[in-house]
Amino acid sequence: MWSRIISRLLTSLVVAWASVTAAFLALHALPGRIQDILAGDLEYPGLREAIAAEWGLDRSLPAQYLDFLLRILQGDFGTSYVLRQPVTEVVGSQLMPTVQLALLGGILAVIIAIALALLTAGRGRISRQIASFLELVFASTPVFWLGILLLMAFSFTLRWFPVSGASGWQSIVLPSLTLALPTAGLLAQVLREAMEKTLDQPFVTTVRSRGVGELVIRARHVLRHALLPAVTLGGWLIGGLLGGAVITEKVFGRPGLGTVTLGAVLTHDVPVVLAVVLLAAFIHVAASTLLDILYLLIDPRLRAQ
Amino acid sequence: MKWQLYAIDHFRKCETLLLRLVVKNTNGRSPMRKISISPRTAIVIASVMLGGQLAQAQEGKPVSGGAITWGVATEPSCFDPHRASQQAAFFVARNYIDSLVGKKTDGSFAPWLATEWSISPDGKEYTYKLREDVVFHDGEKFDAAAVKANYDFVKKPENATNAVALLQYFDRAEVVSPYVVKLILTQPDSTFLESTSNVKLGIISPKALAKGDLCGGGPLLAGSGPFVFERYSRGQSAVFVRNKDYKWGPGYAAHTGPAYLDRVTLRFLPEAAVRAGALTSGQVDLIEGVQPTDVALFADQAEFKLLTGPSGASTSFTFNINYTIPPADDVRVRRALRDGFDLEPLVKQVYLGTVPRAWSIIGPANPAYNKALVGAWGNNIAGANKLLDEAGWTGRDSEGFRTKNGVRLKIDVGYPQPYVRDNREVLIQGIQAALRKNIGFDLNLRIITAGEYAKNNANGNWTIYPNTDNPSDPARELWDMLGSKGFLYSNIANPDPQITGLIDEALRSTDVAKKRALTDEIQKLGVDQAFIVPMFAPSWFLAAKNNVNGLSFEAGLDSPSSAYDFWLAK
Amino acid sequence: MNIQTRPLADLSVALDPQVNPPGAVEPVTTAAVIAPRLLSPGLAISLAFLFVLLLAAAFPRAFTQFDPLIGDYALGLKPPSWKHLFGTDRLGRDVFARTIHGTRYSLLIGLGGMAISLAFGIVLGILAGQRNRFLDEATSRVFDVLSSFPGVLLAMLVVTFLGQGMLNIAIAVGIAGIPKFGRVIRAQTQLVRDADYVTHAVVYGLGRWQIFIRHVLPNVLVAVPVIATVYIGNTILAVSGLSFLGLGPQPPTPEWGVMLAESRDVLRVAWWPGVFPGLAITLTVIAFTLVGNAIQKRFEGRLA
Repeated sequence: MWSRIISRLLTSLVVAWASVTAAFLALHALPGRIQDILAGDLEYPGLREAIAAEWGLDRSLPAQYLDFLLRILQGDFGTSYVLRQPVTEVVGSQLMPTVQLALLGGILAVIIAIALALLTAGRGRISRQIASFLELVFASTPVFWLGILLLMAFSFTLRWFPVSGASGWQSIVLPSLTLALPTAGLLAQVLREAMEKTLDQPFVTTVRSRGVGELVIRARHVLRHALLPAVTLGGWLIGGLLGGAVITEKVFGRPGLGTVTLGAVLTHDVPVVLAVVLLAAFIHVAASTLLDILYLLIDPRLRAQ
Repeated sequence: MKWQLYAIDHFRKCETLLLRLVVKNTNGRSPMRKISISPRTAIVIASVMLGGQLAQAQEGKPVSGGAITWGVATEPSCFDPHRASQQAAFFVARNYIDSLVGKKTDGSFAPWLATEWSISPDGKEYTYKLREDVVFHDGEKFDAAAVKANYDFVKKPENATNAVALLQYFDRAEVVSPYVVKLILTQPDSTFLESTSNVKLGIISPKALAKGDLCGGGPLLAGSGPFVFERYSRGQSAVFVRNKDYKWGPGYAAHTGPAYLDRVTLRFLPEAAVRAGALTSGQVDLIEGVQPTDVALFADQAEFKLLTGPSGASTSFTFNINYTIPPADDVRVRRALRDGFDLEPLVKQVYLGTVPRAWSIIGPANPAYNKALVGAWGNNIAGANKLLDEAGWTGRDSEGFRTKNGVRLKIDVGYPQPYVRDNREVLIQGIQAALRKNIGFDLNLRIITAGEYAKNNANGNWTIYPNTDNPSDPARELWDMLGSKGFLYSNIANPDPQITGLIDEALRSTDVAKKRALTDEIQKLGVDQAFIVPMFAPSWFLAAKNNVNGLSFEAGLDSPSSAYDFWLAK
Repeated sequence: MNIQTRPLADLSVALDPQVNPPGAVEPVTTAAVIAPRLLSPGLAISLAFLFVLLLAAAFPRAFTQFDPLIGDYALGLKPPSWKHLFGTDRLGRDVFARTIHGTRYSLLIGLGGMAISLAFGIVLGILAGQRNRFLDEATSRVFDVLSSFPGVLLAMLVVTFLGQGMLNIAIAVGIAGIPKFGRVIRAQTQLVRDADYVTHAVVYGLGRWQIFIRHVLPNVLVAVPVIATVYIGNTILAVSGLSFLGLGPQPPTPEWGVMLAESRDVLRVAWWPGVFPGLAITLTVIAFTLVGNAIQKRFEGRLA
């Protein structure tokens, strides 16, 4: 099993390294000079020279590549020439609100999905159909439209929650719900199917014959089994939440990485966008590696091999 | 008093009281802006003199202390007043930047960092006697040398400041004595005194200037204003704290001594609905940029107040047409664009009647407004079609646009993204649709990056630039938009000699009546030749919680004033 | 590695560790996994809806007399009525007309993006599905890298490089979708490669290329329309998201995402501009998902 974990870690490292390399290659494959690409839409005297010096553009390509790798390894993503600030500072100052939103959204999604699955798996046809229809609708709804609808209903009409801002717990309720629902739709479906498969297994009958209550069976035994396949979706979930957070922030006017990234896209601020994308990739890879290892650890059937 | 601002206030209990205190303005036009107000609520509409004396009479005696959070729409891309270019950046800068003199509502000037000033008979030397007790936020003393350092800095080409436009005829500064400075011009400039009141030529600590790029704000950007710039978090907020030593406030302010508030936090909330929501839910105390659709939200609520500031100093929102680039080099095409749609109902629809349409380049509340232009142009669709027929645009393509020799009648409107605000892109879309329908004209709105705009401007190949000129002297505003070395035409080889000549003459003219005649003539010519198509007179809409007092607008900036006079009722 | 109890038939491709290394797992599409339980009335309605949608994209003027770009601004922000089914927006433009005309943009950009994903996905997937271990590893790592970037952010990076616009967001969404297609094609190629008829062909002594062209390729490509239908909904969702952010077509283009972005300023006083375009997106995605899943079921015998 350990060799398996180590090989999984190695694969992740290779993927992380490859994504940095891909970013470097993309930068050089683009038409135009690197100086012009990195400068964004800004122009001031000495700018191109400063960029050339910082990126060491007069050196050979392999030397530049090594330098790029080393700098990213040290957490240095260069300078945003449009914002005239180190990228690490720009991104660092915006990271927390986004991570907060993504985390809360993720937790909510998991809770909603589990609740839906617990309530509907293996029950009557009607309730299952209603549930799967709901899930289909959630999964097919664009995050930003869901946000708009929730805003209209709960902020403008009912006035339960404030429209905006990063202050106070009330202001994060609607954004995290917006982010959670589409994800929950999919997750619930996966969970329910898994639960239904598990409910048919002999051990459930055994437990049932011991007179254990239905809810306990579901919550303690069946859910645990069913969670396993859902764990494999973890990586995908985190990637989706990070991307979704960017859009959700825009809808609710929340500060965070989304605002900064969108601004950077519009001003062609390549260093900032590159940093955000790489960072998201690292988080994604790290999280899915962790989940996979967890999966190996908790599923005895995998350990045996 | 040339113009007023209207505080719409609510008495919580006096349900039936409707009190109107309207101070008539000098030229007799109705000063009231119509805002939809529910008759159910008792409302006091008070026309408040700038500086807020009247407002204070209602609001009670100011008290010190407290902090407010102010939701603003535009996050300045640069906080340094010398370099900034967004109008929305300047009222922010007023919190930490002082000027030599201050512009009053009546157009005259009040002492500020300079206690008195004189102009030499030949109009080329401006001598300022400075206060001796002013200290910058970084502890440096303010003196004549500091003024000289600032003017030299702005003038120096390699510093690439935007404020340099105000120093067209500025030659040099001389330190006469430690607290007397002389600013010397190469030729008379009727706009210069006003320029020295402008926040763009505000005074920054020379030590800070030497540190290089101050765009990022923070304590580095040390001015001498009523607030110290404590911190800036990109995308989120800027925090200003009270300058306790402040005793050199502008002569037009409502009080003297330090500001009342301990702390002012600007929260950047670009989405209009979010801004309004932040105020209704109590997350912020004050917002600017209230959407027309949200006006009722605050005009109808007992716990809020709404203020609208007229445009006394700035120009109208205009299309500035580059008349050197085909097809706009043909005056018939420009006139067709100007007359091919009905502006009035469109402005009314987009702004729900909260702002008036414009007739001239200069705004209607500005003393230099040329009233003769009212009703003189626009909404002549038949005439516009005839003009285009005459100009040879007789073909039609599959989408219904006019063509000439197979080329579509099309002009781009390149609107730089950082300047888009206030529903202006929606208004342009409305014009775009109307021109297409009425005269087969393809007005192509493109939201472009600041960089693309800068490039087009440098090459002189911009086509239509949607603009509200930053406030300054009217002649200087006209020069900025249409003059040979203004920001739009400085890179165009042969700007129209007639209009640029008139503008240069107006700049030199120190005779008030003559200058007025010239600026009238320039406005008329600009609209007649359709170099410029005026659209509406922008206003600022402020909404605040009822306990936020002392709100006003600044004459020189045509924008919300700094938070210097603000105070919170206990 | 083989998990004995594969809990999910529909996810078997996506979740099979043989096909996808752990960590690279992605469900076939967000919505696609969900649908198969729904009954055939749903399918019939979906098919009818998609048919109408295609008609709307092809002949929008047959559905509405109003111009999507030109409105009567005296009639701004009027609620839905018999004349204006979906009401009017703030410039008096008919929201129904804009939604109908928007079909073309949203479908076209979605299809364009998918075509790009497909083209690269097929080539890379077939390469990966060969018996060459190195090729397989290399292309699989390419998929891993591409899918390690969250789709929206990867698309935003592409737009930063290429600039805004319809074609560019199609490319952006297309690139982000490559690994999804690639992995499915890879799995399909492996299945076909190991199928009896291919083994027989080898035994008969046919040349490698001959086998590939005559037996492998057709059987791999047969999967394409199936995956395409299942995926298109997701592509449309992604495109509308980017448009909403202002990275795609510019106003006044009646694209659904653009319309929703425009609606935000008036939401407090008018719900209709913010509801109908969103409904159009959601219904379209649901319809494609249901149809896609039905097709997938029918082809199950020939697919993985």
